[in-house]
Amino acid sequence: MLSRVADAVFWMARYMERTDNILRALRTNYIASQDEIQNFDWQLWMDGLGASSKKSETNVAYREALYQLLLDKENDTAVLTNIVRARENARSVQDYVTKEVWQCMNDYYHLIREKHTEYLILHGDPVTAFDNLLRESTLFYGTVDITMNRGEGYTFLSLGKYVERMLRSLDILELKIKELGKHGNELVQWKYLLYSLSGYEFHTKFYRNTLSTENVIHQIIMNVQFPHSVLYCLLQVERYFKRLDTISLPEHFKEMEFLLGRAISNLRYGAPAKPTVENIVPLIESTRTEIKSLSQKLATLYFGYS
Amino acid sequence: MSFALLLAEYAARPNIWDEMYTQGEIRNHYQLFFDSLSQVSPAELTRKDELAKKLFMSQGITFTVYSDGEGIEKIFPFDIIPRIITAAEWQHIEAGIKQRIKALNIFLKDIYHDQFIIKDGVIPASLVHSCPNFLREMVNVDVPFNIYTHISGIDLIRDRDGSFYVLEDNLRTPSGVSYMLENRNMTYRVFPGLVPRNNVRSVKDYPDILLKNLLAISNQQKSQPTVVLLTPGIFNSAYFEHTTLARLMGVELVEGRDLVVDNAKVYMKTTAGLKQVDVIYRRVDDDFIDPLIFNPGSILGVSGLYYAYRKGNVAIVNAPGNGVADDKAVYPFVPDMIKYYLNEEPILKTVPTYAMDNPEHFKHVFENIDKMVIKKTNESGGYGMLMGSASTEQQVRDYKKEVENNPRQFIAQPIISLSAVPCFINGKIQPRHVDLRPFALYGPQGIEIVPGGLTRVALREGSLVVNSSQGGGSKDTWILS
Repeated sequence: MLSRVADAVFWMARYMERTDNILRALRTNYIASQDEIQNFDWQLWMDGLGASSKKSETNVAYREALYQLLLDKENDTAVLTNIVRARENARSVQDYVTKEVWQCMNDYYHLIREKHTEYLILHGDPVTAFDNLLRESTLFYGTVDITMNRGEGYTFLSLGKYVERMLRSLDILELKIKELGKHGNELVQWKYLLYSLSGYEFHTKFYRNTLSTENVIHQIIMNVQFPHSVLYCLLQVERYFKRLDTISLPEHFKEMEFLLGRAISNLRYGAPAKPTVENIVPLIESTRTEIKSLSQKLATLYFGYS
Repeated sequence: MSFALLLAEYAARPNIWDEMYTQGEIRNHYQLFFDSLSQVSPAELTRKDELAKKLFMSQGITFTVYSDGEGIEKIFPFDIIPRIITAAEWQHIEAGIKQRIKALNIFLKDIYHDQFIIKDGVIPASLVHSCPNFLREMVNVDVPFNIYTHISGIDLIRDRDGSFYVLEDNLRTPSGVSYMLENRNMTYRVFPGLVPRNNVRSVKDYPDILLKNLLAISNQQKSQPTVVLLTPGIFNSAYFEHTTLARLMGVELVEGRDLVVDNAKVYMKTTAGLKQVDVIYRRVDDDFIDPLIFNPGSILGVSGLYYAYRKGNVAIVNAPGNGVADDKAVYPFVPDMIKYYLNEEPILKTVPTYAMDNPEHFKHVFENIDKMVIKKTNESGGYGMLMGSASTEQQVRDYKKEVENNPRQFIAQPIISLSAVPCFINGKIQPRHVDLRPFALYGPQGIEIVPGGLTRVALREGSLVVNSSQGGGSKDTWILS
């Protein structure tokens, strides 16, 4: 497989996963802000997601925040920008992803650019807009699953997906911890955090008691049954990476394999026994650094970055 | 209003060949199609028209105009009513194109080797050597199976009497074949059931034949040759076509930066290291394929590619240097080539052509400028031409000056009126002028032409310019069996 194509497929998957994660988080936040959480701090999320804060210091109104986070072309991290980038990557490898996947991304792009989507966010019911967009996102995952062959392209796509997902989980957890520092009521905050990672129902079944900081953090970092947990994603990255064994140059494979093994061990055995809001922050930071250097190594060894 | 009334409003234009109408009657081969539509209302046709537009958009069959970072999607206008060609007409076209390609291919082999055609006085040496697309670098290079014109798109038009004329031979990197394929896919969505009912011949074989030919011209020592399609990249207006062909053939779509030449062999950079490439179907013009030999500023090609080609380590499709054969000043000599090389009479007619470096022709053309079109010999896409009948005196004067400065660069032809076919435009069925570009594939086993082609439509009323860059559109082309 061409290095350039592998790179584009990897980044297409990352942008799509990022889009899905951010949409789910924002949808939950919006619902929370309309109901249980008074004076929702949109500014914190705008800063956390890297949206350009034109009106810094003041708390922006929710519709304005949603617009900037979702549709603002000026905002380099807006969902629209992510979709445009995912699609541009797909366009440059159109012969590699299936026609169905390409059409799916294309429909997604046309949907988010529709006037009606903008209307729903600025004047109508934003939840409908979120649901419409998320349906396209789900369609994308299904189409990939059903139509893509399990060759190298699929491997790099999966690597991109899981690398992005763990970074999102770490980011969203960190943001929530910051939010907790400003506005108390842990229980409510943890509940919405789990909602935004689609993990609330699982939590109640798996941990069988009321929400506690320890269990919530355990679920997000260590629970291997939870598809958004960092450890689960790392193990998936390892699983897919091993498929590259036969096609890789041996020294490249070994180097990546070592880094991956170390990252998994560090997380497994380096996590605090009783996680708290305070002692988990260093682990979040060190894990994020490790994942980023993993991703960079992959780019150097497999995508021909110099 | 019913469809019949809509059709009754159709005003065939005088003095041109209308492919559907003759003396107030629908021609036989259009009858079945229009009968099937007799119950369809104009509103329904409009809905079908919108459906086609939506499908092109959602399938990403678009070209992108980039401004301000984010591209603006445009679709190549598509007219829903198919253009229909009878089996007999197609037989004539097919035989004519095969004959022509055969002669042109021998001409290329001859002109880059012994130049018998010049020595025998059939074509003047000055004409060939003054052609900017004559590549000195190709002289005495042997190409696999002596094939130069692997893929060609021959532009045909029909004059008042309905006979076919060749307007242009495109032997370099002709484009449009993806629209031949996609337009058919669109027709069966827009008019379910009509394609099989009319016994329309399929165009689906095109990518298979092309791949078969590409594999066949590679180095015979290899069991599994690697074929790639070289594209200039996503900013190219034909990028959609490049991805479609690569996907349908199952070959890698590469850009210049994916390739590297080492020890006169071409490799592509893959996740598993370098992999040798045997055949390159390039959609990059001659001038850009190798900065060491041609345009040194090009980043679309690969340094050293031409050397690898001359060594015979990689095949390039189409061969470089084909521009000398589809030069518009060489065009009037093609009938002579057919007689000289094949000892046959040309099957397809050519348009009378005046070389502007001939003072008599020059005088004649400017005396009859209202009946003439003047073209640059090496431009395509409808650029740089002057339609005598549609120009002001000032424009003619300016153009004349340009021609005087460099007469070899220009030719003139009488304006051919182009046949018209029915189109569905603004809720009405109206005649519009068309041309036809069938695609011929030349492989070691001979020349094959998929029964179909790209019909380009001049969408503006009365216009004779069909080029997509000048507001042209396209329609599906049915060859009946």
